[in-house]
Amino acid sequence: MVFSYNWLKDYIKNLPKPTKLAELLNLYAFEVEEVKKAGSDWVLDVDVLPSRGPDCFSHIGIAREIAAIAGLNLQIPTAEVKEDKDIKTKDFVSVEVKNKQACLRYTARAVSNIKVGPSPKWLKDRLRVCGLRPVNNVVDIANYVMLETGQPLHAFDGEKIEGKKIVVRFAKKNEKIVTLDEEKYELDENILVIADAKRPVAVAGIKGGKLPEIDKKTKTIVLESANFAPWVVRKASQKLKLKTDASWRFEHGLDPNLTELAINRAAFLIQKLAKGKAAKGVIDFYPQKVLPRRIKLDLNYLEKLLGAKIPLWHVKDILKRLELKPKVFRSQSIIVEVPTFRRDLSIPEDLIEEIGRIYGYEKIKAVFPNVSLVPPKKNLNVFWEEVIKNILKGAGFSEVYNYSFINENESRLFDKKELVEVENPLSFEQKYLRPSLIPGLLKNIQKNQRHFNDIRIFELGKIFTLQKAQGKVEEKRMLTGVVTGNEFYQLKGVVDLLLHGLGISDIYYDSYKPTPEESKLAIWHTQKCAEIKVGLEEIGFLGEISQKTIDSFKIEKKLVVFDIDFEKLQKLSSEETIYQPISRYPAAVRDLAVLVPRGTKVVEVLNKINAVAGSLIRDIDLFDVYEGEELPRGKKNLAFHIVYQAKNKTLSSQEVDQIQQKIVKTLEKNLEWQVRD
Amino acid sequence: MLVNLKLLKKRAQKEIAQAGDLKLLNEVFKRYLGKKGELTFVLRSLEKIPKAKRKKIGQEANELKKFLKIQFDQRAAGLKEKVKKEDEEKEWIDITRPGKRPLVGHLHPLTQVKKKTEEIFQAMGFNITEGPETENEWYNFDALNIPKDHPARDFWDTFYLKDGLLLRTHTTPVDVRYMEKNNPPLRIITIGRCFRHEATDASHESNFYQIDGLMVGPDVSVANFKATIQEFFQRFFSKPIEIRMRPSYFPFTEPSFEVDMSCLVCGGKGCSACQRTGWMEMMGAGMMHPNVFKNAGLNPKNWQGWAFGMGFDRLAMMKYKINDIRLFYSGDLRFLKQF
Repeated sequence: MVFSYNWLKDYIKNLPKPTKLAELLNLYAFEVEEVKKAGSDWVLDVDVLPSRGPDCFSHIGIAREIAAIAGLNLQIPTAEVKEDKDIKTKDFVSVEVKNKQACLRYTARAVSNIKVGPSPKWLKDRLRVCGLRPVNNVVDIANYVMLETGQPLHAFDGEKIEGKKIVVRFAKKNEKIVTLDEEKYELDENILVIADAKRPVAVAGIKGGKLPEIDKKTKTIVLESANFAPWVVRKASQKLKLKTDASWRFEHGLDPNLTELAINRAAFLIQKLAKGKAAKGVIDFYPQKVLPRRIKLDLNYLEKLLGAKIPLWHVKDILKRLELKPKVFRSQSIIVEVPTFRRDLSIPEDLIEEIGRIYGYEKIKAVFPNVSLVPPKKNLNVFWEEVIKNILKGAGFSEVYNYSFINENESRLFDKKELVEVENPLSFEQKYLRPSLIPGLLKNIQKNQRHFNDIRIFELGKIFTLQKAQGKVEEKRMLTGVVTGNEFYQLKGVVDLLLHGLGISDIYYDSYKPTPEESKLAIWHTQKCAEIKVGLEEIGFLGEISQKTIDSFKIEKKLVVFDIDFEKLQKLSSEETIYQPISRYPAAVRDLAVLVPRGTKVVEVLNKINAVAGSLIRDIDLFDVYEGEELPRGKKNLAFHIVYQAKNKTLSSQEVDQIQQKIVKTLEKNLEWQVRD
Repeated sequence: MLVNLKLLKKRAQKEIAQAGDLKLLNEVFKRYLGKKGELTFVLRSLEKIPKAKRKKIGQEANELKKFLKIQFDQRAAGLKEKVKKEDEEKEWIDITRPGKRPLVGHLHPLTQVKKKTEEIFQAMGFNITEGPETENEWYNFDALNIPKDHPARDFWDTFYLKDGLLLRTHTTPVDVRYMEKNNPPLRIITIGRCFRHEATDASHESNFYQIDGLMVGPDVSVANFKATIQEFFQRFFSKPIEIRMRPSYFPFTEPSFEVDMSCLVCGGKGCSACQRTGWMEMMGAGMMHPNVFKNAGLNPKNWQGWAFGMGFDRLAMMKYKINDIRLFYSGDLRFLKQF
């Protein structure tokens, strides 16, 4: 909210210079966004904290705050209305409040014989500095008093109020109102209105209606200074999508005791500037008077919470400067009476904040806490995330962070029933929460392919799926990586490296058997895809992305992806490594080449070899797979290095040859397999 | 036997010294100590010498043999050294040519800053905690003393999901979740992804990271907060840093503050980076509101403590002088490969 420097100066004689004032407010009350010259005045744009709306959305409130901070004297203007004994307010208007929870107070006054015209220059200037457009003296005064006290006011043309009757009630269904700015609004039972005998004439706390508008001919006005419940105004404002200076103030809550001061200030100024006669008496509906609160402040707690000792005299001084009244003193506590304009203060901690900030947080010395020496617990998620990321980094993968959302196009890759939909997306890119990290990574490839030939990237992040059965959203972390090119085995090697790095050994790869739904979606290449398994548990997939998907993302190269469930991976990971004694006996290496049908899996051959001589073999390395013209059609040649080594003796050359012969015999039991020399 | 051993010694020494390479040295060796060498000859012919002289000459000749062997060895070692040196000199390489780097990847800057932050707080005894990114209204708002139908709720622009949940707008809900399950005293930090329903620009993103810290004990104070957070900033930015607290408002803390630190660029004198104020706004913080303790099942009479929340992307942006938050989520390898 913007404040006029000159205006504040009316209340505080020796007000500090504008920039100094901004600095004081900044440190001890509110952030000042901007200080700027405006003609002969200065404008301060102050970010009043929402809790202080009730008192500080006003020049008096800010002045009071400045006086407290700087220890200066404050002079609030008086509002002595000279009432005309011959006319009575109740002859001009009557007030009926139908709902006292929605309207806590309704104060009205009437002023007659007024002369509507332009406001004097000083008043226009003040309004303009504060960003309001001058209209006429009556409306301007209502606005001026709002800026001054924080209390929104409204002025009706007294002669236009049907039946001289004001009824504060909720609107009826299908009632309508045209507001001062000629906008038409449909009302309903949730919207509180000010009505006359016939129809709504204002939306309570938000905006006046066109009907009883003040115009040049207006002679008698009825002033409204009311207190509407914040929730009522907020609801109506949201419903009508209409926010005004008044609604904003009511939403933050106002002191019901403020209506009287404000209405008297307005009547006083109208008398002065529009030459009106104030009718005798104030109509005041105020069934439940709000009284000052009392809060008990424990001085030990004050010291303990701030971590600083503030002398008692200083505490008292601060409270008094804030117009809080320290009343009863006991040895270790004070009872503080809080004036009703400080609606934000209700618990001892609120008082401690007031004392702390005015005392100055800069005076509180930094002190390290006294705590017992409990070392922090290891967070396994964080620990393993780091290990995984470092392994992948070492394998040449760069890490990306993608958005948690996917758009409609990307959603076609997934089963709609499992998608979590965003209720209020800002753009079509945010239609659903991501059910997989794959679309994000594919987009990354698409964007980067112009600049890089070979791309290796991964992401570790949360995905979201709707579990219709339980009716809840499942959130889990996935680890997904992608590499460009026809690199299935390279990526499989990376997965092996990763799993071994995590202390997981019982790994194998199983053919991928998609469910019928998955087949339709076709993210994966049907042949070049495997389930990654540890023990009996499937922990993820490894495979090439289908051509259809690659094309739809406008990607030029083939892609291989691993997509692993991090939660499962984390649970399987282990830091333990057990040393295997190094054999003291020499190793012997023999090569073995087998001609097998193309469809034979390497693992079948390996299993046979291991079954024969597992305990004497330290390592088998498949060093070549060859398919070519020299070979019979439909065959491929597998070439292995086999490293023989026993744990307890030296294997003689003859022994090794014997074992190798045994392996050959076993392999050739399969008539389609042929060991080559 | 008239060979003068003294002369022979002199001559041999001279020739050894003059032998310019190993081959020449070998020839000299042969001449004196070879099968037909002069000294060998002397030693062989000792028996022809009368006994009286034999002993003396024999002794001298043997000593000379030992001496010359040492001389040969030393000279040979010296020559070998020289050869190696010459060989090495031929192996000149251009050390200004670029090195061949192994292919390694890059960790995301936020990952790196997260690790550093976690290390600093763990060193101060803080546990690292986590919580769900999809939250309910209770943990995200109500439990944090942010009432329904209150303008304070407008501060957190929220993405709602069709299934009654929302995307957490801050990591503060984790404080409540943690306090429900763990009794104080406690020290935790949470770094996680949060969401704001607002338009994207260079400093705002629909998803972003926030760090939340919480310390609760029987007497954890504002003074303790100041010390802890100052220590964090000093360690994080590796330089002396001042902390300033200004009044603020958060429904879940009372008192509440904005926390500024002395400008990283000018150190507090005022420069363009800090809009001439000497300070940089870093975080919101405060003493946990008694209602939050109650909502987490703790008795506020027994416990007090501080909490803070800070935009984590911004911390990384300051560290690496990045001017656009969107780069973090762009997946642009030209950006990511710089870290």
